[in-house]
Amino acid sequence: MAVLNTNEASLVEMAVAGTVTTPAVRPGQYIPHPDGRATVLPGMYGVTYNVRCGDRAFGWAGDHVEPGVSIDDDGDSGRHHALHYLNCIGNEAMVTSGLAAGAKGIVIGEHARILVEFAPETHDLMAPGDRVQVMTHGQGLTLTDYPDIALKKMSPRLLHALRITAPEPGRLSVPVAMELPVRIMGSGAELNSEYVDQDLMSGDRALMAELGIDRMRLGDLVAIRHADHHFGRSYRAGAISIALCIHGDSVMTGHGPGILTLMTSAKGCIDFEIDPDANIATRLGLGV
Amino acid sequence: MTIATNIADIVSVSLAGQVANPRLSGLPAEPYRLTADGVPFLWPTFGGIVANVSVGDSAFGWAGDCVHPSVSISHPDANKNRGLNVFACVGNEAVVVSGMAQGAKGVVTGKSGRFSEQVIIHFDIETRRKLAVDDRLLVRGAGVGLALPDFTGIAMKSLAPSLFDRLPKRVENGVLHMGVCATVPPHMVGAGAGLTSEGGSLHMQSTDRAALAEHGLDGLRLGDVVAVQDTDSRYNHGYLRGALSIGIVGQTDGPRAGYGPGMTIVMTAIDGQLGSYEAPGTNIADILGLTA
Repeated sequence: MAVLNTNEASLVEMAVAGTVTTPAVRPGQYIPHPDGRATVLPGMYGVTYNVRCGDRAFGWAGDHVEPGVSIDDDGDSGRHHALHYLNCIGNEAMVTSGLAAGAKGIVIGEHARILVEFAPETHDLMAPGDRVQVMTHGQGLTLTDYPDIALKKMSPRLLHALRITAPEPGRLSVPVAMELPVRIMGSGAELNSEYVDQDLMSGDRALMAELGIDRMRLGDLVAIRHADHHFGRSYRAGAISIALCIHGDSVMTGHGPGILTLMTSAKGCIDFEIDPDANIATRLGLGV
Repeated sequence: MTIATNIADIVSVSLAGQVANPRLSGLPAEPYRLTADGVPFLWPTFGGIVANVSVGDSAFGWAGDCVHPSVSISHPDANKNRGLNVFACVGNEAVVVSGMAQGAKGVVTGKSGRFSEQVIIHFDIETRRKLAVDDRLLVRGAGVGLALPDFTGIAMKSLAPSLFDRLPKRVENGVLHMGVCATVPPHMVGAGAGLTSEGGSLHMQSTDRAALAEHGLDGLRLGDVVAVQDTDSRYNHGYLRGALSIGIVGQTDGPRAGYGPGMTIVMTAIDGQLGSYEAPGTNIADILGLTA
């Protein structure tokens, strides 16, 4: 593994608070399958008891399933955005109210809410409305020796756990569970690359099976060639991005498992190798 | 050629809207947006009355970010705005019902989606000079529910029956082929993916200018009819091999990642009943005789 020089001694570690959410449903709650068949499915918000980072991303009777505990500050736009823009994957979180007060967890994703995973017995004690505080650490992190590679929502802890190698000067290589073709990158193209995720589009089920994408697990690291995620997400020949699967599949057209940006290089200075074990549950020792 | 439709069954409804005002984010760090290269820019964007950009003009080269040609309208109530955005169809007639331009007639040329949600209406320059922000307009919505009895696999979206009749098309081996200026490949489909296909826009991505040129997309004009390859727009927009959507370029290019000219998607099919053929210059400004 490469010794990666960073500016992490200069990073500011700052507490940002959120609250455990509770599922919300819009009037006319049906969502359509690609053929128009309507359904109602759980998956987002609150505490998800039986889906954890490292579990499968496909096949749940759910939609956009968020593993762990989904927290947000949805009453105040400024606080909501602070939580979203300062948290990084791998940050430590602590429950600060309720029956599980004092329990510690780890940020494993960011959807419309921040996803934090605690031990199962902690999840059993948590309730919507409980306060959770994230010690945010990583926004501003840079690789001193790789100016053409940007890090996004990457905590120093995660960066050093990814088993990155440096095969040649100016280039890094990252083990990933699979590669995604850029043509299936969908919903979220309109968002900043530090805000939430971009769904891969799983509507072509035969393609999902052909490429083995339907074996994706929550927490998997993935590579996408020709995807530039520096400032938003767009197609750029030769670019490359490394991302993280943060939520489960969706039945809706243009949606699918959520892919959150961790590294990107418009100049293509990142290589990858396939390692089925490349999942943050194992990389961060989340106990699965 | 004429294709049978259920035009006799289509219900035409009144839709209310007001001329929209441009909006920008507040102090202190905004109002800049970022290009895909991370460079801050401050350009006009969607909304308002645009004097010098019209359907038929180039979709590229403006110092603007996804600018709507002519006039954009919306309704201040979010739910009613949804009604306006879904039921307004490209080719529908609009009339100004208040203000100095009262009685002037225009035509719907496009729609916009998430973060703007406006309907784009062409008026001539003389009318634009009389229009004021907040003037009320009425759109005679007609087109939602449109179906082709001989092509039941084709879903029609946001398209006035009268405009459908006039779009170039031909039938070969049971496939309805629409005449288009260019085809957007699936890897260049961007913002709008995963969002509703009943309203709003789907944008081609223009970050990679070489790829844009390679596919002949860099010469597109506002109002051009285009195909979108491997895209299923029946319910939301998304990738599916073999599917095809037809769109009409509604708004200009912009420098943000994931964006480029927006398209109002008007037809889609997944089963091969819908095709396209090269028909350079196919533009609704010419077809409908819209001039500035």
